Amino acid sequence: MTAQAELSLASELRLRATAYDLAGARDYAAAAAAAFGLSPDDGYDFVYAVNEAVTNAIRHGSPDEHGQIVLSVGAVGERLVFSVRDYGTFAMPASASASDLEGGRGFALMEQLVDDVQVQADGDGTTVTLSKARM
Amino acid sequence: MSSFYITEDVQADGLAVLAVSGEIDFEVSPRLRASIDRHVKAGHGRLMLDLSEASFIDSTAIGVIAGCATSLRRSGEGLMVIVCPVENRKIMRIFEIAGLERAVDVHPSREDALADLAAAA
Repeated sequence: MTAQAELSLASELRLRATAYDLAGARDYAAAAAAAFGLSPDDGYDFVYAVNEAVTNAIRHGSPDEHGQIVLSVGAVGERLVFSVRDYGTFAMPASASASDLEGGRGFALMEQLVDDVQVQADGDGTTVTLSKARM
Repeated sequence: MSSFYITEDVQADGLAVLAVSGEIDFEVSPRLRASIDRHVKAGHGRLMLDLSEASFIDSTAIGVIAGCATSLRRSGEGLMVIVCPVENRKIMRIFEIAGLERAVDVHPSREDALADLAAAA
């Protein structure tokens, strides 16, 4: 039963890489958080971190030939795992301590709101993965 | 598409009150910046940004607020303050994590913010 529930939660979403589509990414993450059983507060934090990761991919990454980036979500044991893949390489922004007034808060916020944030760059693109445990 | 609205009101003494509701993300942050810039250019350098009805604010919008508040203060053109009640926990918690209060004063009510603006005038 648990295995089936986890299997049905795994999904992938190809999203147009535009700011206009960020609300769709948040809806996608919110639905996954609710289905997985994160508390409302933890769900909010998960959605917030997803929004930051997708915003970074749209701002600093590159979409595929169809103008899309790939979002995926799934359960790994007691953790809800999200990843966003784009097809460019972007430098990891500086931390919140950076002197730049306007930027640099996104990754710091992500790291505070979810349990783990990983950035993996290969020759073809960048994947940001984040996860949050179910309490 | 984000749910996002700004209502703008310039009071008789030139104070601009911008009430922002809904979700403030990378899509709509430029609209927030344009609204603030428009009031500053019109000579309304004293601004109150009321986020009581905001449900979401991302790092780009926090950057806009911090940047505008800091440049106003440094240039001497004016002062911007934020209104957000402690009951709006979602927004206040994000402010705390982002350290927004290092760049701009956050008040729990419009009355409290007005007192701060009057003291600075």
